[in-house]
Amino acid sequence: MSLLGFTLAAFVILTAVATALLRDTLAVIILFAAYSLGMALLYTLLLAPDVGITEAAIGAGVTTILLLVTITKTTRPGAEEIFSAVNWPAATVSAGLAAVLLSVVGAIPAGNFLGGTTPVTGAAGTPGEGVTGHYLAASYAETGVHNTVTAVLASYRGFDTFGEAVVVFAAGVAVVVVLHRGDFV
Amino acid sequence: MTLAVPTLTDAFLAAAAVLVVLAIAVLYRAVVGPTMQDRVIAVNVLGTNTVIILALLAVALDSESFLDIALVYALLNFLMAVAISKFTVKRGDVI
Repeated sequence: MSLLGFTLAAFVILTAVATALLRDTLAVIILFAAYSLGMALLYTLLLAPDVGITEAAIGAGVTTILLLVTITKTTRPGAEEIFSAVNWPAATVSAGLAAVLLSVVGAIPAGNFLGGTTPVTGAAGTPGEGVTGHYLAASYAETGVHNTVTAVLASYRGFDTFGEAVVVFAAGVAVVVVLHRGDFV
Repeated sequence: MTLAVPTLTDAFLAAAAVLVVLAIAVLYRAVVGPTMQDRVIAVNVLGTNTVIILALLAVALDSESFLDIALVYALLNFLMAVAISKFTVKRGDVI
């Protein structure tokens, strides 16, 4: 990653820590929106514009409104200090979980962030080459979509995505039926 | 030893990097506050910053699809600021 990428990653981490530590719920929602801005930029920089546009629509638009609607239904505790106290046992568990996830899922060799060129899983010359190579070579001919990630999400596993949409819709209908109300807010 | 000549792409990327550094500076105001109005303005500035960075990236990396994301953000950033402001002024009545 470039200097731009590292600065952006620092921005995202700072917003995430601030979101976790701030005491006032409204401030947390505002900071979470800032976190979403950074993530969308990072996705875009990593050449995943479709994920970036989703993060823009969901993170900055829908989530903020939904969280705001939620805190109107609840009471806000009075906040004297800006930051809440850190729960050290919970923080230790979170850091341990993050370390385990990074070591298990870390398909990208850590040296690559510092300029290394170790091939990642699925790159040419590694065992996953056949699968990745097929999608990279044939996705445009088969689906007519330029971006391979978008082709996989919206075309190859389009039925799966449709199923997810059905699940979300069913959940919304169930909430309306249970609450006996015709509107969500 | 010859120095690499900086290209226009490098210039655009450097400008984007400077804007990200400035975004971290604005983040200080968003975190510390002290009032909610400060935070709303700070996040609004961050959103405008993001739109400009996306536009610079679109030029530097030569991919027009980034401009679509910039447009989405320009629209939603406005919506977010209005929603938070409305909540702050008239508590408990967002929509």
